[in-house]
Amino acid sequence: MTRSSTFDRLLDQVQTGGRLSADDIAQLAATPDILSVGMLADALRRRLHGTSVTYVRVAACGFDASFARAVPPLAREIRITGSPASLTTARAAVESAKAVAGDRPVSGFAWRDVERLSSSSRMPVARVLAELRAAGLEGLAEIPVDAIEDEAAVIDTLRQAGFDRLRLTVSKAPGAERTGAMLRAAALQARFGGIQAVAPLPTAIDALRPATGYDDVKAVAIARLAAPNIPVVQVDWQRYGPKLAQVALTFGADDLDNVAASDEAPDGRRRAPLEELRRNIEAAGFTAAERDGLFNVISR
Amino acid sequence: MVDELVRNVTDGARVTAAEALDLYRHAPTHVLGRLADAIRARKHPDRVVTYIIDRNVNYTNVCVARCNFCAFYRPVGSAEGYVLGFEEIFRKIDETMAVGGNQLLLQGGHNPDLPIAWYEDLFRAVKGRYPGLRLHALSPPEILHISRTNTVSVREVVARLVAAGLDSIPGGGAEILVDRVRKLLNCYGKASADEWIDVMRHAHRAGLRSTATMMYGTVETDEERVEHMMRVRDLQDDTGGFTAFIAWSFQPEHTERGGAEATGVDYLRTLALARIVLDNVDNLQASWVTQGGKVGQLSLAFGANDMGSVMLEENVVRAAGASYCMDEVEIVASIEDAGFVPKRRNMQYEILGDPVFRARDVPRVLELATARAAGDTSVPEELRQYPARSRAGKQLRLAQ
Ligand code: SF4
Repeated sequence: MTRSSTFDRLLDQVQTGGRLSADDIAQLAATPDILSVGMLADALRRRLHGTSVTYVRVAACGFDASFARAVPPLAREIRITGSPASLTTARAAVESAKAVAGDRPVSGFAWRDVERLSSSSRMPVARVLAELRAAGLEGLAEIPVDAIEDEAAVIDTLRQAGFDRLRLTVSKAPGAERTGAMLRAAALQARFGGIQAVAPLPTAIDALRPATGYDDVKAVAIARLAAPNIPVVQVDWQRYGPKLAQVALTFGADDLDNVAASDEAPDGRRRAPLEELRRNIEAAGFTAAERDGLFNVISR
Repeated sequence: MVDELVRNVTDGARVTAAEALDLYRHAPTHVLGRLADAIRARKHPDRVVTYIIDRNVNYTNVCVARCNFCAFYRPVGSAEGYVLGFEEIFRKIDETMAVGGNQLLLQGGHNPDLPIAWYEDLFRAVKGRYPGLRLHALSPPEILHISRTNTVSVREVVARLVAAGLDSIPGGGAEILVDRVRKLLNCYGKASADEWIDVMRHAHRAGLRSTATMMYGTVETDEERVEHMMRVRDLQDDTGGFTAFIAWSFQPEHTERGGAEATGVDYLRTLALARIVLDNVDNLQASWVTQGGKVGQLSLAFGANDMGSVMLEENVVRAAGASYCMDEVEIVASIEDAGFVPKRRNMQYEILGDPVFRARDVPRVLELATARAAGDTSVPEELRQYPARSRAGKQLRLAQ
């Protein structure tokens, strides 16, 4: 990938709206030359989004905790965390979250929770989804494209149940496997539509073999290049921290997910997370835009 | 304009201050990275990335300089002030050698109660006990402090310390080598920009090699960041004594100055710019201590060819809120993961060999040690032999 003629051809393709082949993507995923991969991904993100970086303030709250206390007024999305044991508990959690949320969207649960609730309640998955949706759930928090078996069936079921603006996640696939997962995500989008975002960095951090900086920025760049038909590539601001999340913006990401909705840090000090977030976005040469939980921009 | 500059740098041209500023302000981040990476590849074509196993020992935290960006120092007379005893330092060296370390990085506050004889005796004792160990000690402001409190010229301080065993000098205390900035940071008194440069010039002329550092992200302008690099480049043209350049961002927590830390992208851009400007300095260190392991590793794509130190102990940056730890296993993994070849080095940047942990069992270091255990206020026995200058120091001696 260091041969500039190859790079120029790919850059030209990306800038003129062409799609890179699976072979090109595989070669980019294998090169240690992350700057070239980053430049290609950055060119594509600029073609799609200009210099805009969106972010969403999320109030995360355990399904068994008090939503009234955990949801600050500035949250734009309420995300239920944890795995309730029964469908009744899950539905009740969604209803209480919705009661506090008002017109703000409620998300929560992972695909594996839906499967578990389906077997514990002896109801088909589609019915579980319909019940959760009727209670007010608007999005699943984790649809790990690397960990679900029949992803086409999953996306189809979710679409049929009325879920749109889906967010695909990655649970813990190592770098090499994530490329295949991103190509599959692009194929799912081409087939079913309705996928709004992909979060290519793992939701589970492997303490024994933590991902490296190269791993992470390459995963972000490859997600952008392999799935140009999925509009949003996002990084979890709290999980990955300001330094890596900011650098990821220059490697193809255009959205910062899970920004704290409260100005109060856990240790009681005020850290003005929003100020820090906007400073990081601007220092990387981008413009910040706040969005709601349904990916609508609220203010710039 | 930037395109033309990029072509010139690609062709190997040296940049002026104005051109450096233009690149820093206007070149896209990846373009800066690529320029820096190409220079790294020219200087280090074998894809070797080095690191050193050493221990960063802060012999005292008592300091009269009171820089307002520092969370480490304690004023004279503070109950939390300490001076390490020789035996404590020997113990730390033993631990360092057990994991394959060969160097002691020794720096501390400007303690008025440590006369030059204390340093000479310490260095002699260390060298007597560990003849193969390299002493990388005392940044220029410390040397100036010793010169001032002992009314001995800088040249003589350097000569005496070299005679006692000093091998090389760390480039600390440079902050930003512009007096306007130094006055605002309250570090002009410890050393003006010219004084810092002068100490380095003396040291280089005395045959010592040193590093050069930059602490950015406080009050300096972009122009002043570039001016700092230019001052280092000019002295390097004169003496050739700098082995490496190390940039790190101001760590604001717990400091009097406070404020926000410069961002990760700013770090990578500054690092890349340093590689472009400092065409006469061979080695550029990644500061994973301030940037964390991930951005630390990404530094290797932005011009760095050295991962710095596998540290066993760190007090200064930790006091200001950053507490990253990487042992040899992790440093080597991050170098290899980025497609480079890891090699151990010494302070002169000579290659010593392959990773130690691949040759023999060494204990993992999963947490950095501190200079002193919390609450340990013991006063070392030998301190009694050295006269104190401060009132608090004299009282402490009497109480011993
Ligand atoms: S940076 Fe060094 S000289 Fe300045 S106050 Fe801290 S210990 Fe003292």
